[in-house]
Amino acid sequence: MRWLALIWKSLLRSRRRTLLIVGSLVLSVFTVAVLQSLLTTLDSVTNNPNSGNRLAVRHKSGITQMLPRSYETYLRQQPEVETVCALQWFGGYYQDPRNFFANFASDETTIFQTFREEFGLSSITEAQVKEYLRDGAGCIVGETLALKNGWKVGDVVPLTGTIFPINPRLTIRLIFKSSRPSDENVMHFHYKVLEEGVPRMKGLTGAFWVRVHRPEDIPRLIDRVDRHYANSAYETLTETESAFNLAFVKMLGNISAIIQGITIAVVLAILIVTANTMGTAIRERGPEIAVFRAIGFSASRVLSLLLAEGVLLVALGAALGILLAQAAAGGVRGALGAVMPFFADFEITSATALLCLVGALAVGLLSTFIPAYAATRRPITDGLRSVG
Amino acid sequence: MNANAFDLGEGEPIITLRGIAKSYWRETLEIPVLQGIDLEIPSGAFVALMGPSGSGKTTLLNLVAGIDRPTGGTLEVCGHELNDLDDDELAAWRNAHVGFIFQNYNLVPVLTAFENVELALLLTGLGRRARRERVAEALDLVNLTDKQWNYPRQLSGGQEQRVAIARAIVTDPDLLVADEPTGALDAKNAEEVLGLMSRLNTEMGKTIVMVTHDPKAAHQARHQIHLEKGVLDRAVEVNR
Ligand SMILES: Nc1ncnc2c1ncn2[C@@H]1O[C@H](COP(=O)(O)OP(=O)(O)OP(=O)(O)O)[C@@H](O)[C@H]1O
Ligand SMILES: [Mg+2]
Repeated sequence: MRWLALIWKSLLRSRRRTLLIVGSLVLSVFTVAVLQSLLTTLDSVTNNPNSGNRLAVRHKSGITQMLPRSYETYLRQQPEVETVCALQWFGGYYQDPRNFFANFASDETTIFQTFREEFGLSSITEAQVKEYLRDGAGCIVGETLALKNGWKVGDVVPLTGTIFPINPRLTIRLIFKSSRPSDENVMHFHYKVLEEGVPRMKGLTGAFWVRVHRPEDIPRLIDRVDRHYANSAYETLTETESAFNLAFVKMLGNISAIIQGITIAVVLAILIVTANTMGTAIRERGPEIAVFRAIGFSASRVLSLLLAEGVLLVALGAALGILLAQAAAGGVRGALGAVMPFFADFEITSATALLCLVGALAVGLLSTFIPAYAATRRPITDGLRSVG
Repeated sequence: MNANAFDLGEGEPIITLRGIAKSYWRETLEIPVLQGIDLEIPSGAFVALMGPSGSGKTTLLNLVAGIDRPTGGTLEVCGHELNDLDDDELAAWRNAHVGFIFQNYNLVPVLTAFENVELALLLTGLGRRARRERVAEALDLVNLTDKQWNYPRQLSGGQEQRVAIARAIVTDPDLLVADEPTGALDAKNAEEVLGLMSRLNTEMGKTIVMVTHDPKAAHQARHQIHLEKGVLDRAVEVNR
C-alpha cells in the first residue's frame, strides 16, 4: 500500500457522498467553464486585435438607418484615411433559415484592403481577387463556412434574403483563411447586387468601414467626420470598430456582469456544499483520526492526508467538468457558430480550464482545511472516547 | 506512597511515573482524576490495571502510552522523558515504542486486514518488500494469514481484535497498551486474545499494560494494580 492508495481508499469510504461531491463539482465547473468561455468569446469580439486601425461610420439614429454612399468621397479625402469600404449586413440564409451566417454586400474594390488582416492576404492570389472583381455575381467565403457547407470555388450558392426581398445566386470565386475561425464564417458579395436588386438601397449603405494609416489619428478623425455631418439630413455616428461591435453585443444586455454574478453564485454554492459535506465526513472520522495519531501519525501528517483527499476529490470533479464543457463547446460551435459569427470561436481555452481547476482546488482546500485542522487539533483521547 | 510500595518483579524499569497527576477543569472547577501516582513497571512485565469505573484507569494508560499529557509529575517510558517531547516527537516516539490495542479494535474500515497492519509501517523507512514481510509475520503470529485480504466488516470480532494485535506488534514495539481488549468479545474469543497476549509477553518479551474489568483477563497478567479514585491502592502478584 502506498500513500496514494491510502488516500484513494479513504475517498471511496462513502461512495454516495463521493459521487455527490464529484457530481456537483462537475456541474458547477461545467457551468462556470461554459459561462467564462462565453465571456472570453464576447471579449474577443470587442477586442479584435485587427480592429485597431478601423472606424465604423453609421447613421446617428441607429444601425438600421442608411447613409448616402456619396459620403465616401469626403471620407476618402481625409488625410488620415487609407481606404473606405461600404458594408451592408444582408442577412440571407442558404437553403434553410436555421442555416444562417454572416453575409454582407460590400465594396468589392476596397474590401480586401480594409480587412486585410482577416483575409490573410498571403493565401489569396492576385488571380483569385481578379476573378472575384470580374464576376459581378461572385462572392467570397471563409474556409470554415465553405467546409461546413461543402462549398468549393466555382459553386453557385443561392441566398435567400430576409431583410431584403432578393434571392441572389452567387458564384464562389475565392475561399479565404483567417487566424480566427469567427472571421471565416463570413460571406461577402458585390455591393451592386444589393443596389441593383433592391431599388430603395440605391446609393445607400448601412455603414462605412474606414481604415486609417495610424491608430493615433482615430480620435481626431471621429471628431471631424461627425462635426462635418452634424445638422445634415444624415447625421453620422463614427466610432472605433471595437466600440461598434460592443454596441452590437450590448444589445444582448450586460452579459458580462450577469455572467460574473452567476459565476460567483455557483462558486459560493459549491463551496458551501463541499464544506458541509467535507465537514461531516471528517467529523465522522474522529475516532479513526485518533487511531492514526495514536499509532504515530503526527497531526500535520493526518492533516496532509485529509487535504490530499479533498484536493483529489475536487480535482476529479473539476477535470470531469472541464471535459464535459469541452465536449459541449464543440456543440456550441456547431449549433451557434453560423448564427452569430463569434460563436465559431467558442472554446474552453486553456486559461479558462486552468481557472476552473485552480478555483476548484481552492474550494477543495478551503472546505477541507477547516474541519481537517479542527479534527487534527482535537486531543487524541477525545477521539478515542467517542468510539461508539 | 512511593514506587517501592509496589513490587512488580525484577528488571530495569521501562515505565517510571513520579508524582503523576491529571485533572480536568469544568470552567474554573478542578476535577482531579489522578493524584500523585508513583509507579515503576519493569521491562517484560504484564500488568493488569484494575479498579472501579471512573477510577482513572484509561486516563493513566493514555498517559503511559503518550497520547495524553499529565498536569503534574514526570514520566519516563521506554527511555524517554515524555514531558520533554513535543507533539510531533511524541508521535514518532509512539510509532517506535508503543503498540495499541483498543476495546473496539478500531480498524480502518476501508483497508484490508493486511493494509490495517501495514499502516503503522508506512511511517517507518521500510521499503515495500520489507513491509510486506513484517506484515506477513505479524499476521502469521495472530494466525490470520488466510484472512489478510478481508475487510474488517468481513471479520468476526475476535478476528478483528487479532488483526488489531498484529497492527500493534508489527513495528516491534517494547510496550503494548490495551484498554479492555476483551471488553467486546465473547468468552471464547476473549480467551484466544488473552492467550495471544500472554505469548507476546512470555515469548517475545513485550511489556504489557492492560486495563480490564474482567477478573479472568486480569488473571492472565502477572501482576494486578488496583486504582481507587485516582490513587494506586495495591498491587497483587497473580498466582498460577
Ligand atoms: N476529557 C475529560 N473531561 C472531563 N472529565 C474527564 C475526561 N476524561 C475523563 N474524565 C473523567 O475522569 C475520570 C476517569 O476517567 P477514566 O476514563 O480514566 O476512567 P476509567 O477508570 O477508565 O473508567 P471505565 O472503567 O468506566 O472505563 C472519570 O470521572 C471521567 O469522567
Ligand atoms: Mg476506561
